[in-house]
Amino acid sequence: MIQLKDIGVKFGDFQALKDINIHVKEGEFFTFLGPSGCGKTTTLRTITGFIDPCEGTVVVKGEDITHVPVEQRNIGMVFQNYALFPTMTVYENIAFGLRVKKVPKDELDKRVREMAAKVELTDQQLMRKVAELSGGQQQRVAIARALVTKPAIMCLDEPLSNLDAKLRVQLRNELKELQAKFGITTIYVTHDQEEALTLSDNIAVFNKGVIEQIGTPYEIYNNSATEFVCNFIGDINKLEADIIKEINAQTNAKLDPSKATYVRLERIHVNEEDIPGAAQIKGEVIGREYYGLYIKFMLKVCGQVIKCIEKNDGTKFFDVGETVNVAISPDNLMVY
Amino acid sequence: MTRPVSLQKRPISWGKVLIMVFFTWFVLACLVLPNLNLIRQVFFSEGGLTIKPFQKLLKSKRAMKALRNSFVLAPTLSLTVGLVGISLVLITEYFDIKGSAVLRLGYMTTLIYGGVTLVSGYKFIYGDSGVLTQLLIQLFPNMNIKWFQGYGAVLFVMTFSCTSNHMIFLRNAMRTVDFQTVEAARNMGASQWRILTRVVLPVMLPSLFAVTILTFITGLSAMSAPMMVGGTNFQTINPMIKDFANTQTSKDLAIILALILGLATMLLILVMSRIEKRGHYMSVSKAKTKIVKQKINNPVVNVLVHIYAYALFIIYVMPVVLIILFSFTDSKSIALRQLSFSSFTLENYKYLIESLSNYKPFVVSIVYSALAALIVGSIVVIACRLIQKNRGKKIFTTLEYSMMIPWLLPTTMIALGLMMTFNVKQPYMFNQVLTGTLLILLIGYVIVKLPFTMRMTKAAFFGLDDALEDASKNLGAGELYTFRRVIFPVLLPTVMAIAALNFNGLLQDYDMSAFLYHPLNKTLGVQIKSLTDDMGNPNGLALTFVYAVLMMIISSVVLYFVYGRGGKDNMKE
Repeated sequence: MIQLKDIGVKFGDFQALKDINIHVKEGEFFTFLGPSGCGKTTTLRTITGFIDPCEGTVVVKGEDITHVPVEQRNIGMVFQNYALFPTMTVYENIAFGLRVKKVPKDELDKRVREMAAKVELTDQQLMRKVAELSGGQQQRVAIARALVTKPAIMCLDEPLSNLDAKLRVQLRNELKELQAKFGITTIYVTHDQEEALTLSDNIAVFNKGVIEQIGTPYEIYNNSATEFVCNFIGDINKLEADIIKEINAQTNAKLDPSKATYVRLERIHVNEEDIPGAAQIKGEVIGREYYGLYIKFMLKVCGQVIKCIEKNDGTKFFDVGETVNVAISPDNLMVY
Repeated sequence: MTRPVSLQKRPISWGKVLIMVFFTWFVLACLVLPNLNLIRQVFFSEGGLTIKPFQKLLKSKRAMKALRNSFVLAPTLSLTVGLVGISLVLITEYFDIKGSAVLRLGYMTTLIYGGVTLVSGYKFIYGDSGVLTQLLIQLFPNMNIKWFQGYGAVLFVMTFSCTSNHMIFLRNAMRTVDFQTVEAARNMGASQWRILTRVVLPVMLPSLFAVTILTFITGLSAMSAPMMVGGTNFQTINPMIKDFANTQTSKDLAIILALILGLATMLLILVMSRIEKRGHYMSVSKAKTKIVKQKINNPVVNVLVHIYAYALFIIYVMPVVLIILFSFTDSKSIALRQLSFSSFTLENYKYLIESLSNYKPFVVSIVYSALAALIVGSIVVIACRLIQKNRGKKIFTTLEYSMMIPWLLPTTMIALGLMMTFNVKQPYMFNQVLTGTLLILLIGYVIVKLPFTMRMTKAAFFGLDDALEDASKNLGAGELYTFRRVIFPVLLPTVMAIAALNFNGLLQDYDMSAFLYHPLNKTLGVQIKSLTDDMGNPNGLALTFVYAVLMMIISSVVLYFVYGRGGKDNMKE
């Protein structure tokens, strides 16, 4: 569907993107994830045509569109702040692309209203000024406006980043539902790992203008390809040599203590004796953060402080100062 | 697979070429060459470089005196306006003064009238047959009735007429003061005086510097006040330029004075932009709180400040009130400066409407101002769009700076430049003589309003969300369609507001009109000036007052729409 081949982008002397290769399949929800300045938005803007790459090609449905002007690409886009035209009504915003294409009046009206109905905007809301809408309604107008011209692809550039936490979760779900309903190939840019993990079929993790890993959320999280990816996604413990040596001693693992070794917080267990193949190391509880849904414990193990979380199911609640058994299974370690 | 058209290889657009040709011509013919021509006329008049005009200037007692006067007026005015201006801001925004809302309206009267109208209002009160003078004469029969003349009078009138900038910019600066810093200072035990001088005023300092320099420039280029109340003893550079420009033998003196004024203005603006570059104090607080008016603790000081505030109020409001009242009285009342119920009449307004020669200046000024506002708005919008689309390209940066040239030059110099360049056929003006035509004043008006329009419009352009344009393109719209349907509608309220302010300013113009007006089509400023030359002519005064009232109404309406209602967000500089 969309193929980026060896894309390179330069801003003056600054190499913003290097060797970007991505293949997005038809109907897929594909996320570009990374910290700010990593190149994810640049990649998106290369696909939509706002940026001219100095190297490589952008191919959509077998057609090279690398140098096609923005206005001829028909790739729908939802902007970070939605970029709704403030001087126009909701209706005119949605109709904009159709008017540019000189779609006949009757058909235009029909398509605008159909699209509005799909994103659940009422006739009354259609006649409002965009400033009178709530954040959620604005997002739906932005999506309707992007999709009414029947683009092959929808691109979304951090559309939830300006919202407060609660609305973000609500709109995230709404967005996923809409995408499933339209079945449109979607490229989504975000720096929020939770958004990326919950929404995506596939994720490309960006760092400093290159792609660190492409994979499903499960692969990205559990089998992070690089140290950067495992640090960027989720919370994690980096284990020091003493712990690694202890694990080697207790199990038949042959870990190299000089290598960077990581373990996720939820893969460490406290006072669980019957985990096959796991090392059991004595530790001391030195801190506790109570979240309700789960509890985070700070444990001192082999002279190092590591964090772990336990589900708040009423079975595990340790006090500071308590001595516990910390179970770490070598299978759960990520080594770089 | 066919290779699509590359972005770079679009054909040359003839429209764009035409626009570029227009701007090149406009900048050269209207902004650059007339001013260069002035320099050439003075220093290269005899085929080679000559310093004779300098010698002539040094020998001319009147010219030298005018120079001296201007350089005395400017710094003293900066001081007095600064003091009054700061106190206005403190009274209206910082201290808890009873009736501050009414006071504020009074202090803002300078926004609705200025120039010759304002001076005539003051003259009506303080002048030789003025209201106050007559009152004083009854108390001190031996006093000099021409007491309100010369340096003191000019300084007085200008002190109270040049506080508009303070009421706009300095008040805005005061509003940016984070009240939590005041509370923090109080919490640490600081006195009111200490808080004011160490916490509040320092935040306003950069704005204060800027408005002070503007005042200095205003003082240097004073025109109507010295002309009308300066007397023979206190004429300044600009009135002198006007005098000299009208006599064949002294034209070179006019030019050289204009050049000196221009040079001084440029220097001052350089200083100001340095100060502006240093930037304003940005509040670091995340949750800024609005200022709570401070009650003055010391009761004696409190009473004194109240008295001072209301005294200022009376000075500001008196001319306006009297102009309005006397515009409704018969000529006898005006001549005697006495109000009585029986003398109220609408005759003056009728007189205006009934006589073509009386309402014509009004119509002329309205037409000129509206046309100029429209033209300058269109030129600047197109220029800003070009500059915005071609950020960083040298030729467009040059265009941007060129459009700001008139900012560096006093109005009189621009007027002289046009007058003395287009009094002969110039190939770059299509071999047309413009001096003495209707067109030249329009060009002058457009030129003087360029810099302000440019600054404000550019700010609006750069305040635009780039994503809007991206979104439009993404939906398939071309450049022109995007501009017409998306960008321009967003800018329109600001563009209209700027045009309204320009219209307002030009309606009252005297400085430019004085040089370039068409003899058969006097502008309002010129008409008022000639009417008020004779303060003893009650019919002339009555007409002046009617003009003034109508102008105040127009200005108030314009200001209300621009600053008062929905326009607040548009016009904050």
